[in-house]
Amino acid sequence: MPVRTPAMTTACLALALLLTMGLAPTRAADAPVTPARPGDFAQAGRPFIAKHCLSCHDDRKKKGGLNLAEFKDETAVLKSRKGFEIVLKMVHAGEMPPEGRPRPTLAEIEAFTAGIRGVFERQDQSGVRDPGHVTLRRLNRTEYANTIRDLVGIDFDPAADFPSDDVGYGFDNIGDVLSLSPLLLERYLAAAETIAQRAIALEPIKPALRPTAAIFIRPRLGRGEFSVREITTGEAAYITHKISEEGNYIFRVKGYGEPKDGQVPKLALQLDDKTVRTVEVAAVRGKAASYEVKLALKPGEVKVGVVLLNPSTGDKPRGVSVQRFELEGPLDTYPAVHRKLMACNKSAPPREQAREILTRFATRAFRRPAAADEVERLLQLVDASLGRGERFEAAIQLAMQAVLVSPKFLFRVELDDRPDSPLPHPIDEYALASRLSYFLWSTMPDEELSALAAKNQLTANLPAQVRRMLQDPRSRALVDNFAMQWLQLRPLKTHAPDAKLFPTFDDKLRAAMLRETELFFEAVLREDRSILDLVDADFTFLNARLARHYGIQDTAGNKVGGKVVTPGKFFREEEFVRVKLQDGERGGLLTQASVLTATSNPTRTSPVKRGRWVLEQILGTPPPPPPPNVPPLDNDPKAQLTGSLRQRMEQHRVDPGCANCHAKLDPMGFGFENYDAIGAFRTKDGGFPVDASGTLPDGQTFQGPADLKKLLKAKKDLFGRCLAEKMLTYALGRGVEYYDKPALDAIGTRLDRNDYRFSALVTGIVTSDPFRLRRGKELAK
Amino acid sequence: MTSARLARISRRTVLRGLGAAVALPWLDAMASRVLSAPAPAKIPNRLAFLYVPNGINMAEWTPKGEGKSFELPYTLQPLAAVKDDLLVLTGLTADKARPHGDGGGDHARALAAFLTGCQPRKTDGADIKAGTSADQVAASRLGHLTRLASLEIGCDRGAMAGNCDSGYSCVYSSTMSWRSATMPLPKEVDPRLVYERLFGNGPDRQRAQRDLRRKSVLDFVRDDAGTLRGKLGAGDQRKLDEYFTAIRDVEQRMARAGQMGEVKKPPMGQPSGIPPAYEEHIRLMCDLLVLAFQADITRVCTFVLANEGSNKPYPFAGVPEGHHDLSHHGNDPKKLAKIREINKFHVKQLAYLVTKLKSVREGDGTLLDHAMVAYGSGNSDGNRHNHDDLPIVVAGKAGGTLATGRHLRYPRETPLNNLWLSLLDRMDASVETLGDATGRLANLQG
Repeated sequence: MPVRTPAMTTACLALALLLTMGLAPTRAADAPVTPARPGDFAQAGRPFIAKHCLSCHDDRKKKGGLNLAEFKDETAVLKSRKGFEIVLKMVHAGEMPPEGRPRPTLAEIEAFTAGIRGVFERQDQSGVRDPGHVTLRRLNRTEYANTIRDLVGIDFDPAADFPSDDVGYGFDNIGDVLSLSPLLLERYLAAAETIAQRAIALEPIKPALRPTAAIFIRPRLGRGEFSVREITTGEAAYITHKISEEGNYIFRVKGYGEPKDGQVPKLALQLDDKTVRTVEVAAVRGKAASYEVKLALKPGEVKVGVVLLNPSTGDKPRGVSVQRFELEGPLDTYPAVHRKLMACNKSAPPREQAREILTRFATRAFRRPAAADEVERLLQLVDASLGRGERFEAAIQLAMQAVLVSPKFLFRVELDDRPDSPLPHPIDEYALASRLSYFLWSTMPDEELSALAAKNQLTANLPAQVRRMLQDPRSRALVDNFAMQWLQLRPLKTHAPDAKLFPTFDDKLRAAMLRETELFFEAVLREDRSILDLVDADFTFLNARLARHYGIQDTAGNKVGGKVVTPGKFFREEEFVRVKLQDGERGGLLTQASVLTATSNPTRTSPVKRGRWVLEQILGTPPPPPPPNVPPLDNDPKAQLTGSLRQRMEQHRVDPGCANCHAKLDPMGFGFENYDAIGAFRTKDGGFPVDASGTLPDGQTFQGPADLKKLLKAKKDLFGRCLAEKMLTYALGRGVEYYDKPALDAIGTRLDRNDYRFSALVTGIVTSDPFRLRRGKELAK
Repeated sequence: MTSARLARISRRTVLRGLGAAVALPWLDAMASRVLSAPAPAKIPNRLAFLYVPNGINMAEWTPKGEGKSFELPYTLQPLAAVKDDLLVLTGLTADKARPHGDGGGDHARALAAFLTGCQPRKTDGADIKAGTSADQVAASRLGHLTRLASLEIGCDRGAMAGNCDSGYSCVYSSTMSWRSATMPLPKEVDPRLVYERLFGNGPDRQRAQRDLRRKSVLDFVRDDAGTLRGKLGAGDQRKLDEYFTAIRDVEQRMARAGQMGEVKKPPMGQPSGIPPAYEEHIRLMCDLLVLAFQADITRVCTFVLANEGSNKPYPFAGVPEGHHDLSHHGNDPKKLAKIREINKFHVKQLAYLVTKLKSVREGDGTLLDHAMVAYGSGNSDGNRHNHDDLPIVVAGKAGGTLATGRHLRYPRETPLNNLWLSLLDRMDASVETLGDATGRLANLQG
């Protein structure tokens, strides 16, 4: 027997599958078995092993390298817990004892499992809990791009040319799977160069001169000559301009006045309607002069202009003639990003300036305070660069490149601050801040998180920080990265339904499908709704295109051609709006076109894929893999398969080799046969009426997708557990193992006590042992 | 569409570049050495591996007749013009793609075992492991002779959804090249980036300066990484070792680029990206592969035409259904007929590559005369998921050491890796054994 498959998850899921789906109908037939005391190995374990296993797995034969005779008591079992989990899994899946050997009854199997599990549970409750170990995680493409965005503040995708990250346990942020190939290192080097060049300018920005001729000065005049703009008393004239670089600018007015009664016209130069300087316009016609003021401007729209201040005399208005406005700048400055990164005490010697700049940069890049010797080594790089005659800015660029290619930036290093502690203990607070921010935001910690970590107060503030972080726009990353991978929707981006069969499918519809799911998940997150809404809900988000696809005509969810009781608003083409749904035909992830399309083949629906998707992604009870050699249909000359897809599949299922698994898969899949391979509603399939009714293995029946969703939504424990497992996997960057069971149990309890709120799930995860703790010396061995 | 048009233009431009302007470096070396050195340089052999997923409709693949008197069956007909340059090899087995107790996952195993001959470890993430692949054996021995030790290309990105095949991480079903048992090499799928890798993206003078700065960065980070040594657990240390390996590789590559002087750029623009049409994409990659061999930028390449288990439809070949879905054909003749079309489509692309290699003159023969293009799948029948009787073709004469134009049948269970050992011998990259190889493949030289 191979003792190689590591994940206990599969084992316990297989168990759950059997318990929830397979056993009920047959149990009555079994002979009654005295229930063993849970956790009693001598009573529940040994006899079963002796009766069913030892004929092959004793210390003589050791078939498959497994000797079960060694397990004489609980201590022995607990020592090989991982291996024993596999034993349980095999027994439960019916893979052991193998075919041809006497089968244990289902009651025997249950008693055996409950017994062993009881042993494990007692250990979980009393012994030292193992928080597990996360392998050094490299930033994946998304995390790299987001981190650069927040670290440097430049707006481009530096990771566009990186090779794709591999996926493990369903996600692309798993430490063990994220490898670093030479190709990727080359790309890191190139990206670091580009980033440093974009962030640090070698020369100040050349100031731009933006002249505005009189004719364009506002408000426009409908009279007079256009080469000058005449301004009279109390009148303002201005221009607006969009500033992209912060810095000093010069606003300049060129014109002349008409001195009257010995009084020179007085002009107020204004920024955003506030006077910043008053000038006397002594210049006269034919000898125009410039009047200017220096302004410190920030990015955004600015309004600069003038107002004539002198009061009018008599009935003749006083005037000033303006030939043009000029805005020049930014003056002698560097881009804002540059100035932020290069900020330092300019009176210090260059090496000290570099120290200040690089200490700050490395601290943020490494997501913990940079050590003095680390910075000193960076300064040596600066020294060498300056020694080659390069500019100070170029030397800083080089040191920044080095930081960006350092393993301390590229990997999330979590060094143990108490390596000699024998027991599990918390990871340090900086590491915790990173775990939080990469989990919820897919990026580096912000200032608030870092500040709390610096004061060692992050752990104490976890729930409040979770609330803040979920409300922050950056938590959109949880939708894009967690949800889309959990739902396995990323392949939809390249999925290609047959153009002849599905002529309405195009890239716009594809994009709309994905957008609906994103917005829907985001609403559950932001509104802190119950996660059960994900299974079935009475609202969604649609644009005109997707609404047409669904046959919905307005935001009140009225069907096209149906009776309208309360009308809603109609859709505008591209814009997504919230829609109230009137019946169970849509609502929840399961009946969204994205999921229905992604679980279909290009030419037809696949009830098996849909069923498997529900079992794996929603209930967390994956079916066993299909047998390698599906018996050919033409073996039976009478098997002329006809009818709808469902009828044909049911004929096929007569084969006993297939029947067992398909009894679990098919109801879930057939329940959604009302939706075609691009998720449009239908009542006929190839001319045959669709039958979307069915019976779950536990005996519950349903008439169609709306019913089925209700039944699934009622399986709160299973769904909550499944989502918690997926999210914990994503949060930790490792597969969930048997020792995570107590943590998952606690998250389940928290969900149950908090109406299954999204925030309860997230808080449960970030306060769990596997998220906060690391192994001590004992377990690390 | 604009992008389609651009892509097409760029491919044609690549074609124009072929044969004309790309220098053959060792021939230049020969010419200059005539005066001083007595021994002319030998034209080296090149080695490429092409992979297609989901097995083959074998009834339409395996030729009738053996030896020289064989006829090309339907699927192989696109290769008619180069029949004399082919070896069709029947009866080879990738034993390590079989479950051996690991249960489902034949797709993942088929690709992972194809060039390694090692049983991939069944894991969804923790402790990924297969074995060193044949191409990387060649790369590690010949890499110092060329700018790039090897080139890994493909048409599908790494899979985007988890659990690609029954408990196997997606690494296995998307990776053909393994630098070591624990280091899968990602493939480049964007022709623009392949071009950049082959020909650089700036003038060489700038590159020298850039490489100087890069070297100082690499020196720094190597020391920096060194300070982490000893502070990490075993699993973490392995990740750090990957990092050190990558640094070493990049440094060596830069050093070689410095020694080998300038690469002459083909007179073509850089491709603009991934062409929307699959066939264009494959052919553009083939063009780049030919250029890389022709200019001796590398001698070793792996090319995954589609990831193992791919459910891509082939409407342009009359098959709107998904490939993987169809491959579980249940012996339905209609489905088998469609699989045959997909198989033939892929073989057409092989024919394109082989013909292209043959069109390049080299010495007194062609580039194909000094090449070995091994093409095939680690699955035989996609329905049965069997890994014996694999569909394998080798094109090219390997400097006259392969007696082509034959169909050879080997005893059942002959390891596929025996073929790889034989090909490695012809690359002057002999190793005693590799994966589950039991020896060399007999009868290749006639």
